[in-house]
Amino acid sequence: MSNYLNLSISELHDLLVKKEITPADLVNEVFEKVESDKLNCFITTDKESALKRANSLGEPDKDNILWGLPIALKDNMVTSNMRTTAGSKMLENFVSVYDAHIVDLINEKDMIIVGKTNMDEFAMGSSNQTSYFGPVRNPWNNALVSGGSSGGSASAVSSRIVPFALGSDTGGSIRQPSSFCGIVGLKPTYGRVSRYGLIAFASSLDQIGPMTRNVFENASILNILCKKDKRDLTHIGKEEDFTRLIGESISGMKIAVPKFYVSDVIDKQVLDKFNSIKKLLEDNGTTVDMVDIPYIDYAVPLYQIIALGEASSNLARFDGIKYGYSTKNANNLDDFYKKTRSEGFGDEVKRRIMVGSFMLSGKNVSEYYDKALRIRKSIANSFEEIFKKYDLVIGPTTTCLPYEIGEFLQDPNRSFVDDVLTIPVNMAGLPGMSLPIGFSKEHLPIGMQIIGNKWEEAVMYKLAAFIEKELSLDLVPGGEKNE
Amino acid sequence: MNNYKPTIGIEVHLELNTNAKVFSLSKNNYSDIANTNINEIDLAYPGVLPTFNKGVLDKAILACLGLNMNISRKMHFDRKNYYYADLPKGYQITQFRTPIGLNGYLTLSTGKKVGISDIHIEEDTCKSLHHNGKTLLNYNRCGVPLIEIVSCADMNSKEEAMDYAERLRETMLYLGVSDCKIEEGSMRFDVNISVSKDDTLGVRSEIKNIGSISNIGEAIDYEVERKIALLEKGEKLNFETRKFDSNTKTTIFMRNKDTNNDYRYFPEPDIPYIYLDDEDIESVKEELVMLPFERREEYKKRSVSDINIEKLIANKELSDYLNMFLNDSIDFSIASNILLGDISAYLNKKRVSIFDTKLSRDRFIIVVNALKNEEISSKIFKEILESLMEDEKLDLDSYKQVDNNDEIENIVNGVIAKYPDSVSDYKKGKDNAIKFLMGMCMKESGGKINPKTTIEALQNLLNK
Repeated sequence: MSNYLNLSISELHDLLVKKEITPADLVNEVFEKVESDKLNCFITTDKESALKRANSLGEPDKDNILWGLPIALKDNMVTSNMRTTAGSKMLENFVSVYDAHIVDLINEKDMIIVGKTNMDEFAMGSSNQTSYFGPVRNPWNNALVSGGSSGGSASAVSSRIVPFALGSDTGGSIRQPSSFCGIVGLKPTYGRVSRYGLIAFASSLDQIGPMTRNVFENASILNILCKKDKRDLTHIGKEEDFTRLIGESISGMKIAVPKFYVSDVIDKQVLDKFNSIKKLLEDNGTTVDMVDIPYIDYAVPLYQIIALGEASSNLARFDGIKYGYSTKNANNLDDFYKKTRSEGFGDEVKRRIMVGSFMLSGKNVSEYYDKALRIRKSIANSFEEIFKKYDLVIGPTTTCLPYEIGEFLQDPNRSFVDDVLTIPVNMAGLPGMSLPIGFSKEHLPIGMQIIGNKWEEAVMYKLAAFIEKELSLDLVPGGEKNE
Repeated sequence: MNNYKPTIGIEVHLELNTNAKVFSLSKNNYSDIANTNINEIDLAYPGVLPTFNKGVLDKAILACLGLNMNISRKMHFDRKNYYYADLPKGYQITQFRTPIGLNGYLTLSTGKKVGISDIHIEEDTCKSLHHNGKTLLNYNRCGVPLIEIVSCADMNSKEEAMDYAERLRETMLYLGVSDCKIEEGSMRFDVNISVSKDDTLGVRSEIKNIGSISNIGEAIDYEVERKIALLEKGEKLNFETRKFDSNTKTTIFMRNKDTNNDYRYFPEPDIPYIYLDDEDIESVKEELVMLPFERREEYKKRSVSDINIEKLIANKELSDYLNMFLNDSIDFSIASNILLGDISAYLNKKRVSIFDTKLSRDRFIIVVNALKNEEISSKIFKEILESLMEDEKLDLDSYKQVDNNDEIENIVNGVIAKYPDSVSDYKKGKDNAIKFLMGMCMKESGGKINPKTTIEALQNLLNK
């Protein structure tokens, strides 16, 4: 088996431009790995059309560092040539009539979409155990969860099946599995990437972002995802070179650590590792202050109200009439809806639709939903105040290390608690990143979170690149240095 | 029984005639072949998002201006959640909390003002067709822009309700926001009715499926009687939704409204807030035309007959043409007569717009004044109509009546000399003879002599 996919994209680009390898070689390597994948990273792959595309790309484009490279998409981004399931029986055989905006952008850059990655059903979950297509395993220990909901993307990148993948993040679904799997995952500023073609979970929170092996590659992918799309009215579409500050000195940067992020609910190993980074930064000329960010401790209940309320409405279209799963034995229209949705959705999705519907019912709208929107505004204001004084906010990504598959399955609250440190970022519409910062004594990856002000992803990449370079971790699961 | 007073409010759904749908770029043309004006947004495919057609906003503002509404400066859309086969997303995008227009009114023929509580923008659903036990869906209508115009419960008779519907229809037609075709469903009425013996409001019912303005009257008649009969029997009324059956002219129970539908309204997160400033509204004001009730007043002031007024209102193009002369002192009665008579017949025959003919502003003034001063006869007018409309070189003066006494006397003398038999017949007392001589005079002059002056001259000379 060739092992080109362990090379950096700059090295791959050189080989491709010199024609020492071809895009088809890379695609073949991807599929060798896909075929021996024990992690259940993919729901759908299409070797034939990937090879066809690889062979049709023509001459290498030396100005396009992403030319001819394979990429995977989380299976909630619609594609017209491959089914899109959102990890659900409801869409088991669904093929879209149109492509998501980001699919067009990837194709414009002559990249090759090799498949659609496994995910929690409709992105509802944080351990990839709610997928209709089975759980995704953690590459660092196959008995453990990958995290979720973008678990397939995280495991596929971590295990070097693909150099990068796209995920989506509503409350932590890019950052938490990135942390669990030891990769770099970024949720951009709300409005940075068009959501057109992303199957909606919670419209005011969802955002697509890159999941990669390292910081530079993450910024390189984000570079191509921001082109203006008039079809998403919440899309601002600011384009810039996100790699431009990478390598610059971090000296003089002012960094805040919310006290909430270093409380005793955080696993001790995670906290120790985070504190070592804090020290590293202080030793390199940055100011790191402990701060209070009012209201962020309310983020989880707010999320349950807002995200589930929106989800209950967004998932109403799956009624069996136009596409997707339809029950075969209904007596009338109401019966048809009930049976189609009872049979097509999994337990977690049904639970969340019920909770969300309840939150929007009758008087609950004013008692919960409207109130939640107001507190959400307060969270955004709290962060705004912090960013008047600080360049970045940092903290751990998760409260714990990856846990065993099957654990916590009986605890419907667990997946929300997993996201307690990531949800505030979505509530405020800010960009957030998870970056690997080391390993636990069980050799499981530990991640830290970097939170930026709106539209300041480039500043986050600067800090992340510095830490990455200082630590110089070996992040290949089962690699030599890890033995 | 007669001391019951009905109270009536009307909700109108009006389809706006924009080119595209409200939240997608599909063509807004429901009547095309079924399911041809559709895209992934109309079909509510996973991952799609709404866009917003600015044209809808302008038309809605125009409708608000025409109904004297306060226009919201900051608004958003809401989702109205419910399951039905004609609703592909499982929710309708509407304006629940921030309607674009608030607190306006419409003036009835009687001068009474009916309050309009709000106007909001929303999207239409699919059209369902029930056929052989199956339901067929036409998505052409899905996403067609609607405004819902909600009246206050200010009407107290079927006459007022029908007049409200008619006045609203013509106002919206004049504003050009909708084709207002009731029979095709682009204007739809839901009528709310209650009856009461005193000033407290009775239990209302909402009547749906009303397909014409006369149906409004019939539905009210039936519903008022039905309610009174129930009340007289001592029964308690329910707040219910009923539908009108135009065959039997009765209303039929659909569902109880007490089991209130919980629509779980919440702000639509996919569409940002919309902000309007004075400039936005002023720019739409430029499109605001003179509305029917104002035109009626103007025409009445200018002594146009009631029949002609209504005919003009029904023909906006001719009314618009006539309005070019509101600042001129022409005879509007004559002007309306020729517009609605010979000119209208010509336009219909030739299928042209009056604005595409050679009947310029100046020419029309000359013609109306000439008719008024009897310088041309209506007969001549008929004869030269086609040239008036088509030939800009036409010399109108050459058709003006001869009103010069000497000239008329010459013609009359000539005719008397030419037909001595008729002259003697006249002198013998045959009255018909003068009509013949008169006809000959007209013929000699090419119809241009003033008939009144001519007959006087003829009588004078014959009686000498």
